[in-house]
Amino acid sequence: MTAPVLQVSDLDVHYGLRRRRRQALQGVSLDVSAGETVGLIGETGSGKSTLARAVLGLVPSSGGRIVIDGEDVSGYRERQWRRLRRRGVVQYVFQDPLRSLDPDLTIEDSLVEPLLIQGVSRREAVARARTFLDRVHLSADLLPKVPGEISGGQRQRVAVARALVTEPRLIVLDEPVSALDSANRVQVLEILKELRGSGVALVFISHDLGSVAGIADRIAVLYQGELVEVGAAAAVINEPDHPYTRLLVSSAPTLRAASATRAEREELRALLSV
Amino acid sequence: MVRRVLSLPSGRIAVGLLVLIALLAALGPVLAPQDPLATSDNTLASVSWSHWLGTDYLGRDTFSRLLDGSRVSVLASLEVALVALGVGAVPGILSVYLGRVFEWGTLRLADTLVALPFLLFAVAVTALLGNGLTQAMLVTGVLVSPLFYRVSRAATLAVARSQYVEAAIISGASVGWVVRRHVWAKVLPPIAIALAQTIGVGFIIVSSLTFLGIGVQPPAPTWGGLLASDLGYLDYQPWAPLAPAILIMLTVWASNLLADTIRDVSGEAGRAFVTHRRDVRSAHDASDQNATAHSGGAR
Repeated sequence: MTAPVLQVSDLDVHYGLRRRRRQALQGVSLDVSAGETVGLIGETGSGKSTLARAVLGLVPSSGGRIVIDGEDVSGYRERQWRRLRRRGVVQYVFQDPLRSLDPDLTIEDSLVEPLLIQGVSRREAVARARTFLDRVHLSADLLPKVPGEISGGQRQRVAVARALVTEPRLIVLDEPVSALDSANRVQVLEILKELRGSGVALVFISHDLGSVAGIADRIAVLYQGELVEVGAAAAVINEPDHPYTRLLVSSAPTLRAASATRAEREELRALLSV
Repeated sequence: MVRRVLSLPSGRIAVGLLVLIALLAALGPVLAPQDPLATSDNTLASVSWSHWLGTDYLGRDTFSRLLDGSRVSVLASLEVALVALGVGAVPGILSVYLGRVFEWGTLRLADTLVALPFLLFAVAVTALLGNGLTQAMLVTGVLVSPLFYRVSRAATLAVARSQYVEAAIISGASVGWVVRRHVWAKVLPPIAIALAQTIGVGFIIVSSLTFLGIGVQPPAPTWGGLLASDLGYLDYQPWAPLAPAILIMLTVWASNLLADTIRDVSGEAGRAFVTHRRDVRSAHDASDQNATAHSGGAR
């Protein structure tokens, strides 16, 4: 295993002030190595997106350490974050492709934006954008179009291409297929699988174990702000340890282990609520 | 945006009228056939070849006064709009980005400006800075600016938390980049609408201030001033207020029409609207051509 691209240790994140203060993440530790795909699973409100946003510096952490590509970013100020982000080491893909692309910009403008911010010339940026559009199996005909003129699946692939243009070491995908229909979902998942070979690390966030199972090397399970289980994908799916993971696995109809009866699931729920 | 506005008939009418009025403002004083300030004993004359719109109560040529007054009237309302834009829109956009202190300060300032009684404030400031149109319009511009502040702030807020702005920030974009690249295009249509409306409002304000004797001093003519003095002689010349009133109405209407058109063609819906119109027309043209080709072949 190569050196980790992302090291999160003992991370705490709080929202709100004083009496409204609420802990969103508690003592989360997670390493992601280069070329590795980690599935981050949890239900709504479990802190999946908070973890992702903390890693990107969009949410301030109140404790713990985050190291990105060997650089300790905990306690970074806005200016330092901007310098780090400009290197294009970390990129992000949003859940909703309808809103993650500027409706007034052409696909070309959206794709070259991260490169222009880095100071790459427009000409070179467009050339690179074309390469990466090809990587996500879209034709260059889309470049002069605006997001309103292409389909949701195409938009999400454009968003993936936009994340790729800076040749990042780590891409965080926040439910990248949840807003897509099943045909487009499969297509985007195929593209992500192809990416795994290129050495980029992926953090794949999802509430659905099924879509993560086929792509992740390791799976981390978040429950109420705590990482309750981390392990190889097969191990987590076949021999879930924590009650919540067992509930998840037994609730996913597409997985082999999905054999729990309703009574068993209720039993697991009861175990969790203690 | 300009091309989209001009692709609609309403846009062409509005722009055409405004260009005409701008020309009037630029050339009016030169075109005036007689001295607008020269009095004569031929008072309250009716329409004739020498006096196209008659004369006023001091025997001055109304047509010349109308032309001469157009520059001041138009420039004054432009001043109102531009001052309001500068004082309002820029802090409005920045209030979202420059931190809580700036945000709180500008918000309270905007509230204060809204609460100020407008005419009283105008009178006070002209007493302080001296009575002149520039001062009066500066005050008016500042007092109208909360509209621009609110409009641009609201539009910026809607964009600032959007995912595509976050995507840009994740790529290391600065505030300046985000504003230029993403915010500006979303804020511009509502600002353009507010601007066009303010030009219309500016005319009415210039007129009402002139009526009160603030701003332009007699005998210098303005459209509003003409209207006010004509109203005093309705018994003798009931038709006289028509000419300045029509000019004011036309200008305000053209500004509002432009504002409406900008609203119609801006944003995604506007783009779709314009594209749809173009498609319908080209389909129509194509069928026309087919028809002619067909009838030509038949002959």
